[in-house]
Amino acid sequence: MKRLVAVGAAALTLIAVGCGSSDEPTSAAGGNQEREITVFAASSLTAAFTQIGSDFEAANPRLTVTFNFGPSDGLAGQIESEGVADVFASASPTWMDDLASATGVTQRTDFARNKLVIITPPDDPAGIGSIDDLADPGLQLVLAAVGVPVGDYARQVLRNAGIAKAAAANVVSNEQDDASVVAKIASGEADTGIVYASDVTESVAPTVHSIEIPGDVNVIATYPIAVVDGAKSSDLARAFVRYVSGPDGQATLRAFGFLPPT
Amino acid sequence: MPAVLALIAGFGVALVALPLIGLIIRTPWSRAGDILASGSARTALRLSLIVATASALVGLLVAFPLAWALARSQFRGKALVRALVVLPLVMPPVVGGVALLSAFGRRGLVGGPLYDVFGLQITFTVWAAVLASTFVSFPLLVLALEVGLRSLDVRLEDAASTMGAARWYVLRRVTLPLLAPQIAAGLVLAWARALGEFGATITFAGNLPGRTQTLPLAVFEQLQTDPGGAIALSLLLVTVSLVVIVTLRGRFLQTR
Amino acid sequence: MSLHVDVEVEVDRFRLEAEFLAEPGETVGLLGPNGAGKSTLVSVLAGLTQPAEGRVELDGSVLDDRAAHVHMNPEERSVGIVFQDLLLFPHLTAQDNVAFPLRARGVPAHEATDRARVLLGRLGVGERAHARPAELSGGEAQRVALARALVAEPRLLLLDEPLSALDVRARGRIKSLVRDTLRTFPGVRLLVTHDPVEAAMLSDRLVLLEEGRVTQTGTPDEIRRAPRTSFAADLVGVNFFAGRLERADEGTARLVTSAGEIVVAWPSDLPERSEDAIGVLRPIDISLHLQPPEGSARNVFRGRVVGIEIAGDRARVQVDSSPLLVAEITLGSISRLGLVEGTDVWASFKAVEVDLLPP
Repeated sequence: MKRLVAVGAAALTLIAVGCGSSDEPTSAAGGNQEREITVFAASSLTAAFTQIGSDFEAANPRLTVTFNFGPSDGLAGQIESEGVADVFASASPTWMDDLASATGVTQRTDFARNKLVIITPPDDPAGIGSIDDLADPGLQLVLAAVGVPVGDYARQVLRNAGIAKAAAANVVSNEQDDASVVAKIASGEADTGIVYASDVTESVAPTVHSIEIPGDVNVIATYPIAVVDGAKSSDLARAFVRYVSGPDGQATLRAFGFLPPT
Repeated sequence: MPAVLALIAGFGVALVALPLIGLIIRTPWSRAGDILASGSARTALRLSLIVATASALVGLLVAFPLAWALARSQFRGKALVRALVVLPLVMPPVVGGVALLSAFGRRGLVGGPLYDVFGLQITFTVWAAVLASTFVSFPLLVLALEVGLRSLDVRLEDAASTMGAARWYVLRRVTLPLLAPQIAAGLVLAWARALGEFGATITFAGNLPGRTQTLPLAVFEQLQTDPGGAIALSLLLVTVSLVVIVTLRGRFLQTR
Repeated sequence: MSLHVDVEVEVDRFRLEAEFLAEPGETVGLLGPNGAGKSTLVSVLAGLTQPAEGRVELDGSVLDDRAAHVHMNPEERSVGIVFQDLLLFPHLTAQDNVAFPLRARGVPAHEATDRARVLLGRLGVGERAHARPAELSGGEAQRVALARALVAEPRLLLLDEPLSALDVRARGRIKSLVRDTLRTFPGVRLLVTHDPVEAAMLSDRLVLLEEGRVTQTGTPDEIRRAPRTSFAADLVGVNFFAGRLERADEGTARLVTSAGEIVVAWPSDLPERSEDAIGVLRPIDISLHLQPPEGSARNVFRGRVVGIEIAGDRARVQVDSSPLLVAEITLGSISRLGLVEGTDVWASFKAVEVDLLPP
């Protein structure tokens, strides 16, 4: 019993020493401290930014990038009320404007574009050939909710194609983000949906069938990124934004299906 | 009551009361009227009430024979059945939704054949919302009814049969009336749980105003675009729940 | 019109074998200590338990016949039961409780309620018709339970420990009500109890049930004259010895019981040895002394007084000799001898005073 206590005490001491030595906040810029930045990014950026995050961490030792992915509208709201983000990457300018007027942003850059695509389950049960088929009565169409960028974009595409009303009658569910739309289609629950081209990643591709939207009706989404005013580690945040706009970040985004910013 | 216990009890009350007070304070009262009177709010509320009530009643129908079997019968695998019944309570609701999809979705175990042969699809309909709510709330009914059945004096049922009552008559005139308090308690619990159900509903039934967008889903959607509106809707949901529970508690649950 | 029971029942390793007959017009009291199997028998008659073997027949209808695989369900039987704990339905009024057996059998509601109300009036609780069981006193509840058992005019009326739940005062009032009800009931009447006084008061004939077997049947007097078991002897208040009979010297024998042996007069008509001899001795035939007595009594036992029961001008004194003895002496003798609990006494009786019962 006594030995256990001694071992326990020794272990605790070691742990305490170990923890204590690494936790030394220094206000000076640079140096050998471990630092962390928090990035709020649209859920369509999940795969791409996760990769960018680990690349950035590899290039900057002792640095941790923490992500929070979600619908851009919701994220903007969270930053405004809780204010814990250093960087915000939005799927539409609207929510970046929203944040800019509420909290304020700096170093705002458009870093990627995305176009929309129609997806269906692999066996395409409803026989969708083109965008006009989305007006067929009785079809089960899943879109992201109004207010979520890809939801608004999708409805814009439908308006551009002149089938807004007919397609609206086919909507069976308004999902909270693009990933949920993909999930519903990949599982075969609904007949078709509209998501970003970048959503059809390497792992998603076998589970859905994609149909191009003609260039004249398609919507190109512009993604802005910025440093949030009042960020804790603003210099690191700026470094991250630079990385995303830089050649390495751009290459990664290309690989994940995003279009260049211009 | 000892002071320490009273203090801790006070914390308990605060834990529940403070969020509610926060809601009330944060509600944008100037806009609240418009938000709550809006079509979408009323639709969501009506849908929620219908779905929750339907869930509670369907749940009761399913729960009663189950509770009877668990309380009165001996059979192999009873422990397994009981564990299964409790499962929806401990499962994260979204997981429940995923599970429901795998069984009753268009490509599901049961839903698949139903769709292929009869063209019947449950997802994206109000029935899916009812099914999702029933799934998460009926365990509460089973538990309440099982407790009630166990505490029932079986001798009263035996006595009734010696008085010429056939089994259904005994059930109708002796067992069920004596179980009424537990049934009511179970219904209230199940109804409240069903009213607040979110994860399984959004995963299995989808989110469409008028058909599957119950009040919790409406709140969530509002939260993304108009947090103030979401708060107003949340307050509505809480108020409706409170009113129903307090009224029913007064009528049915005052047993002793 | 009679009830004939001849069954073997097994419940949780307890085995009951009972055979008896009950004719209409007589109240049969089923009397036995707790654990004797009385509740099991009630359950069989009610139809809630099936016998392992045997047959139960009531008024020409076969309620149970194991060999023929016949079992009439409880709800089809015409049996009215007053249960030991009354088992009034707590959620129904007294009136609805009494109407229940009628309504369960399809009698229209208002006719059932009328008949119930009339019966409650006859039994003296008419004004409590709308009370719930929880609001009734012990005596009132008993009357309601009795009404409920009678209302459907059953062919067998079964009273299970009808007075046990009542306090002394209520018991007196209910006792006469029960007796009158039994007297006027046209069908077969069966009373089940552990209380010999209750049994003796209310029954015309007794069936003694001990450890799952019927040990004796007869009128209270018949049993008093010739009790066959110690339970029966206790019932009628005599000293009871059972054991092995061995011939001793001139004209006497030893009755060897597990608690001790006594000397009895040698019975001329019994075999030399007998394994199951029964001897009965009236308490009045035992004398008590403070000193070892001299005299012709062949049985002298020493013991301490462990109980004194006064009844009028007589007293029954329990002595913890081996075997245990109960003596009946006058109150005067108690005070003359200065007997109290704990006093050392000698009890004596003559060999010829022990009655040996024929087997």
